[in-house]
Amino acid sequence: MSKYLLRRILQMIPVVLGTTLLVYALVFALPGDPVKAMFGDKPINDAVAAQIRSEYNLDKPFIVQYLLFLKNALTLNFGNTFAGQPVIAEIARAFPVTIKLAVMAFCFEAIFGVIFGIISGLKKGTWYDSVILIVSLLLISVPTFVTGFVMQYFLGVKWRILPVTAGSNPGFLDLLMPAMVLGSVSMAYIIRLSRSEVSSNIAEDYVRTARAKGMSNRSVIVRHVLRNSLIPVVTYLGQDLGALMGGAMISETIFNIHGIGFLTYQSILKGESNLVVSIVTLLTLIFVVCNLLVDMIYMLLDPRIRYA
Amino acid sequence: MSRETNNQDKVVAMQREQGPILEVKDLKVDFTTDEKHVVHAVRDASFSVYPGQWVAIVGESGSGKSTSAMAVLGLLPGTGKVTGGSIKLEGEEISRYSRKQYEEILGEKMGLVPQDPMSNLNPVWRIGTQVEEALKANHMDVSHEKRSKLAKALAGDDAVSIKSEDDETFIGSKELPELFKAAQKALTDSGVTSEALERHMDYFKKDWVAGSATRWLVADDLIKAGVDDDEAWSIAKRYVLGSTMNDRIAGLLDEAGLPDAATRARQFPHEFSGGMLQRALIAIGLACRPDLLIADEPTSALDVTVQKRILDHLHNLTDELGTAVLFITHDLGLAAERAQHIVVMYKGQVVESGPSLEVLQHPQHPYTKRLVAAAPSLASQRIVSAKEHGQDASSYMEHAVKSESTLKQGEHIITVSHLTKEFKLPRKRQMFKAVDDVSFSIKRGTTLAIVGESGSGKSTVANMVLKLLEPTSGTVTYEGKDIKDFKGRSLLDFRRHVQPVFQNPYGSLDPMFSIYRSIEEPLRIHKIGDKKSRQQRVSELLDLVKLPQSVMQRYPNELSGGQRQRIAIARAMALNPDVIVCDEAVSALDVLVQDQVLQLLNDLQAERGLSYLFITHDLAVVRQIADEVVVMQKGKLVEHATTDEVFDHPQKQYTRDLLDAIPGGDLRLGLD
Amino acid sequence: MTAFTSADSKTAYETLPGQERFVAPVEQTPLQDVDSIDESAPATSMWADAWRTLRKNPLFVISGLLILFIIFVALFPQVFTHQDPNYCTLENSLGPSAKGHPFGFDTQGCDVFTRTVYGTRTSLSVGILTTILVMIIGTIIGALAGFFGGWIDAILSRGTDIFMAIPLLLGAIVVLQMFRTSSSIWKIVLVLALFGWTQTARIARSAVLETKNLEFNTAATSLGSTPIRNLMMHIMPNSLASIIVVTTTSLATYIVSEATLSFLGIGLPSTTVSWGGDISNAQTMLRTNPSVLFYPSVALAITSLAFIMMGDAVKDALDPKSRTS
Repeated sequence: MSKYLLRRILQMIPVVLGTTLLVYALVFALPGDPVKAMFGDKPINDAVAAQIRSEYNLDKPFIVQYLLFLKNALTLNFGNTFAGQPVIAEIARAFPVTIKLAVMAFCFEAIFGVIFGIISGLKKGTWYDSVILIVSLLLISVPTFVTGFVMQYFLGVKWRILPVTAGSNPGFLDLLMPAMVLGSVSMAYIIRLSRSEVSSNIAEDYVRTARAKGMSNRSVIVRHVLRNSLIPVVTYLGQDLGALMGGAMISETIFNIHGIGFLTYQSILKGESNLVVSIVTLLTLIFVVCNLLVDMIYMLLDPRIRYA
Repeated sequence: MSRETNNQDKVVAMQREQGPILEVKDLKVDFTTDEKHVVHAVRDASFSVYPGQWVAIVGESGSGKSTSAMAVLGLLPGTGKVTGGSIKLEGEEISRYSRKQYEEILGEKMGLVPQDPMSNLNPVWRIGTQVEEALKANHMDVSHEKRSKLAKALAGDDAVSIKSEDDETFIGSKELPELFKAAQKALTDSGVTSEALERHMDYFKKDWVAGSATRWLVADDLIKAGVDDDEAWSIAKRYVLGSTMNDRIAGLLDEAGLPDAATRARQFPHEFSGGMLQRALIAIGLACRPDLLIADEPTSALDVTVQKRILDHLHNLTDELGTAVLFITHDLGLAAERAQHIVVMYKGQVVESGPSLEVLQHPQHPYTKRLVAAAPSLASQRIVSAKEHGQDASSYMEHAVKSESTLKQGEHIITVSHLTKEFKLPRKRQMFKAVDDVSFSIKRGTTLAIVGESGSGKSTVANMVLKLLEPTSGTVTYEGKDIKDFKGRSLLDFRRHVQPVFQNPYGSLDPMFSIYRSIEEPLRIHKIGDKKSRQQRVSELLDLVKLPQSVMQRYPNELSGGQRQRIAIARAMALNPDVIVCDEAVSALDVLVQDQVLQLLNDLQAERGLSYLFITHDLAVVRQIADEVVVMQKGKLVEHATTDEVFDHPQKQYTRDLLDAIPGGDLRLGLD
Repeated sequence: MTAFTSADSKTAYETLPGQERFVAPVEQTPLQDVDSIDESAPATSMWADAWRTLRKNPLFVISGLLILFIIFVALFPQVFTHQDPNYCTLENSLGPSAKGHPFGFDTQGCDVFTRTVYGTRTSLSVGILTTILVMIIGTIIGALAGFFGGWIDAILSRGTDIFMAIPLLLGAIVVLQMFRTSSSIWKIVLVLALFGWTQTARIARSAVLETKNLEFNTAATSLGSTPIRNLMMHIMPNSLASIIVVTTTSLATYIVSEATLSFLGIGLPSTTVSWGGDISNAQTMLRTNPSVLFYPSVALAITSLAFIMMGDAVKDALDPKSRTS
């Protein structure tokens, strides 16, 4: 059991190294000049450019740059922004809001996704199955930012149920609509996943065996259909937790929430490559850690893995 | 013997008095397809089961046998619906029951032992938990607890007077050591001497299983061993106080023949072998002591020796508990051996039914006759009988004579010597020997069969002969040349002469290839002929395997298993090979289809002088096709002799076990 | 009956009521030939079969018609509007719908209808080109990993893991921020493909692994076929179904991703007409003039819905689980 975990952690190391190297390479080694990108449309000041180059070790060979970046990253030292703020402080300021938003979105998609998915799967072919399916199809195909605008327009502008934007220090109600927007696509996927899991598990032989024992319909559904459907759904949810942080950019932009996504967007606009790389590296790490978490949950839920 | 007959009469009288436990009359079951077509899966089927009786429903796949059983249980899949007739359980009409009403009778009155052990246990729950569910669903847990409490209360009372035969209080594992101590003391007090004492105690230790042995049994055992009645009952009452849930679960699994049940109960299904899973399913089916057990091909997925052990055990257990069994099987021999009454189904209808031996020995309906003639398990008798009757034997005799003469010529087309294959097991240091020093040779124009159960290494040998696997050591020679040296052209040449027919008729044809392309493929690979001559050849080959020309444009998913296997044979024959390796080529087929394919293989051999290496787990099939037999067990060659010799004078215990396990092997067939 | 010997204990068995010997009349169930072929049914290949299932699926019919229409609009936008999408005059800014301008005007005074029509081509090109590229890269890498196994698989699979750890949008943002001023459709396509091929590779790898072990490959080998021939003739055609399913569905993802990138301002330059860019420009109008935001959004949603529905329909038709033999 612990051997399995150890193996997964060991497998994770090259992935983390490879991913950070890839991100770093994409920003600092591609044909585009990052320093030039920092200036954006402004004329380039050679002295400042040289100073930036030496500050970010851009004058050294690429692999040395990367190793230095890695060394600094281990001590959470990501350098400074143009304004002289430590990058890590900027990130630390934005992070709590994004976590709050992601957790709310996660709860939203998990609860409603699983409930609607199960109902749909158990009542396959009925009219509410059709309604749930159509709604989930719509949520998947409509881009998040469009969903965001639609909700903003109706819930915020027209009916004034929820605040239109969140602002810099948002509370629960301010974040409710952004969280729903952020979680909507995943919720639709969870609905579809749990629906297909439930409807395929219900036809399994062991479900018939359970019925033949004389168990009540309720316990057959709970213990044999839902319990087994849980495994892929929880796996999806776990992987999604990491992805939500990255996906928060759109909701945060639309609703003006000063979280990680907003910060990324702003730094892209300002051309702060360093900040962008740092954030993406961090988000990738979170994503990888979430995957490891998923493996652990998977192990708890599926005995076939636990004792493999 | 007279006593036995006497007993039988008593049982029959009792059954007559009680009436049937299950009575199915004119049952109709329909399914609706996606296109809204109605399929009549069961049409006017009638049969009945009496208490304590084994009744078998026999038929091929699609005959409606399983559907009838599921209709009785109220567990028809998908769109299946009972549309007519009646199902009476203990006189009560249940075919119109709601799901809730069925929940009441399932488990307690009717139990199920399903077909495929691998898919019938939920992989995420422990075996014990899944047994427990059965007990809990029928409130057996509650009543047990109540009973234990009652038993404890009564044990405090010194009066030892209640002797009830249905006292179902079980031994608990906690009290077990003390019970043994008390029993030993009681035996010593009753003057039982050392050797007899040991014998008795050994018997007790085997018989008194926590959660399974009852107070009554303990008292009875003690009395039989020489302890006087009062003392025996006093001990039984003092120490047999009812078992915990875990004891009871272990007891049930132990009854089903699962060794080390208490530990096993805490394991998950994927840690069990197929045979062990089947035992767990038997424990579940019988957990609540149903009056009727429906066993739907309970052993068809298992090796023959395991099948025999499990069925023997099930038979003893149901006899002991007085459970009636409705036994669904495709194997006529198995049905005749196990059941008193046989119901033969064909295309959803009952075509013949009656006492099993009578049906078997005097089949009346043409379908039953066909089944009896084709059943491989009975074929060994058939050959002997045919010889005795001096009719229809010529074909067999001819073959036998021919093989005799080639034997003397002794030309070996394939020789396998000291063949060994080792595999590395994942996460284990030592190598696993799948094949261990196996030698044999195939004489030209004859059939050599390798027989063994799963894990015997027989298929590994086949793959090495086909040069699909490289042996770790040892050699395979084809016409005196070591096949190891074949490369490039010579390998292609070897492939041309040695062809396989694989087990899985659904997997061995590419679903994307039309039948024409499948049969043409070897011709293309070997660049034989032009388009026109290849077309000619394919149509010849289809004639050879007796399939219509129209099959050419079809795809494998439109054909049945037997048809696909004939296509596979046609493909193998395309290059005019000398040797065909049949790896379980008929194992997945229904008996009639199996018989048909075997006949085809026999004909081809007679016509073209082919040599076969025939891999099978089924000794019954061997008798019909093989001249020589190699018996393998755990990678080793156990016995190698001519077919007659193996069947008539088996030298090794393992071979004898395999022979004994052939269902219906000891039945007498009066073919008249 | 006399054939039974009394030694056989089972024959002593007495028949019980309802269990008397019964033989059905032969006419009732006429005996058929063993294993006969139904020659009346038409022969169908897997693809023909899938096509038949598809044709009957309303999801496929609707989405198919929609997609045909969308492709038509993308190819011939002139048929629907005679105006230049880049012809904008500020005096028309936020003007209401008028004759020849059914959707009205945006902030810059461009005709919303014309821009929506012309935006189709951008979205569709990005979606289709990315899908083709992803299918090629993913299939090659996945098939090689699955087919060869061993260290080749180890390296390719770890590589796939590395790319997979970077979410599509984040990765695209990192790369595209460098080309903010010099972006083009091709750059977007390349960047999306760079981070999008992993899923296809994973599916292709497992499909190849699965078909590799099927018996028809062993059969072909023993007929004399070489491993490479097996890969091309048997393994790839059999893996194609799952690869097609995953790519059809992801086409919609790429269309949405392009729009999102343009919406964030790091996608296509403002000179290229695209729904994402127009939505981005219109977002400030949400309170005052939502219709400017509405039309490109609906066009985008319908396009992506059409492809997702198509993906679902194709999945139902090609899913090996739903194909019963």
